[in-house]
Amino acid sequence: MHDMNRPEIRAVRPDPGPAEGEDQDLAFLLAQVSRGDHRAFEAVYAQLAGPVYGVVRQVLRDPAQSEEVAQEVLLEVWRSASRFDPARGSGVAWALTMAHRRAVDRVRSENAGSRREQKVASEAVTEYDDVADTVELSLEGQRARRCLDNLTDLQGESIKLAYYGGYSYPEVAKLLGIALGTVKTRIRDGLIRMRDCMGVMA
Amino acid sequence: MKASPDNMHVLTGSYALDALVAQERTEFERHLQHCPSCQAEVRGLRETAARLAIARSARPPAQMEQRVLAATYRTRQLPPLAGLRLRRDLRQTRLARLFAGWLAAGQSRPDASQPHRSGRGRRNGRSNSWLRSPRLVGAVAAVSVAAAVGLGITQVATQHQLNSAHATSAAIAKVLDAPDARIEATSATAGGAVTVVVSALQREAVVTTSGMPSLSSSRVYQVWVMNSSGARSVGLISSTDHIGQLLASGVRSGDQIGITVEPSGGTSRPTTTPVATVPLTT
Repeated sequence: MHDMNRPEIRAVRPDPGPAEGEDQDLAFLLAQVSRGDHRAFEAVYAQLAGPVYGVVRQVLRDPAQSEEVAQEVLLEVWRSASRFDPARGSGVAWALTMAHRRAVDRVRSENAGSRREQKVASEAVTEYDDVADTVELSLEGQRARRCLDNLTDLQGESIKLAYYGGYSYPEVAKLLGIALGTVKTRIRDGLIRMRDCMGVMA
Repeated sequence: MKASPDNMHVLTGSYALDALVAQERTEFERHLQHCPSCQAEVRGLRETAARLAIARSARPPAQMEQRVLAATYRTRQLPPLAGLRLRRDLRQTRLARLFAGWLAAGQSRPDASQPHRSGRGRRNGRSNSWLRSPRLVGAVAAVSVAAAVGLGITQVATQHQLNSAHATSAAIAKVLDAPDARIEATSATAGGAVTVVVSALQREAVVTTSGMPSLSSSRVYQVWVMNSSGARSVGLISSTDHIGQLLASGVRSGDQIGITVEPSGGTSRPTTTPVATVPLTT
């Protein structure tokens, strides 16, 4: 499964893979959900609601809007459970990819104008810990934070702005005052480093 | 700005973080279809991005759960994409379906996330390749636990003089766990579902009924092992039990599990046409 032809990868390490313990269950539950099992969906909701709402809120900030989008995403999990293919990734990644993308789409459609550009300057690299109602973090979450802290400043800032801030990489480049190509590289290098960090510690 | 394949590859990270602008996203997705190494990398980086989200988990508003759950009842689900699950082991699918049926039919509300978690990784070193699948081990364990749950809410009368519900439960779990366990399922003529898990090695079968129509108080369901030489009773299942479960011992390939409606207390041989029959092809 390791592709030795991957260009530019420093070390070939296994992907972090499914969250230990949890995600096998999630894949199993999603298969049940795809057959209309409401009870299995309750268990899926219990696993996903926190991270889905968390990441959507991180990007959107506005609680009411975040709730609306998180609801849409979780309902989409119900609706499209049959489209989840465990061979292509974990259930958590499947759901959180949907959540993040939807939040980002919302932000970008609303901020076609310049309002965001202005806000951006003052907000710059905020500490994204200020969201209320944080829950006690799972081991997985704590691990992710540690790995994120281990990145170089530029890698960490680029990734936080892109993922938590919902900014496109050209916006990130502008915010950090660096070249487009540099941002692309920093984001990729940083993520690979995080992946390896998570993989090693998993 | 037309990107070369090399330039494309560096976009894996930005793509995984949804940080590409719309047009570039489309271009990259086109490139992705023909770039297996990009796919592999994107997959790993998506998993990584998911951990970034987990690191920001937050408690959703209390009313959100009810809203979402209520909405599921009004929302039709998408059908699977053709071919998506074709590679999946048939037995695995059937086990999963059995478990889904269990949950759907259960009166009690076992936490759907609980059973298979409890049994994970207990059984290693089996030679059957399908049992090595952790998901299947999970499914088997789930069925075992579901069996125990079912037993707990069922008036089980067996003719095997099993010492206790615990012994029955253990025997049932053993069948469900057997490396050669197979599942046969059918619907009863007047409604309800009958599922049989049979192990040829152990010559035992677990018969599970769910949602059988209720009968008058003077009638019960009786379960039989039937073959050309006649029928022997396995036991009775009350029609007030939403889920019933019995263990049939000494079964052979070619036998049938049959269920008939009989006077309460049961009879020595079937007196009515079976409402369900399940052939045991081991």
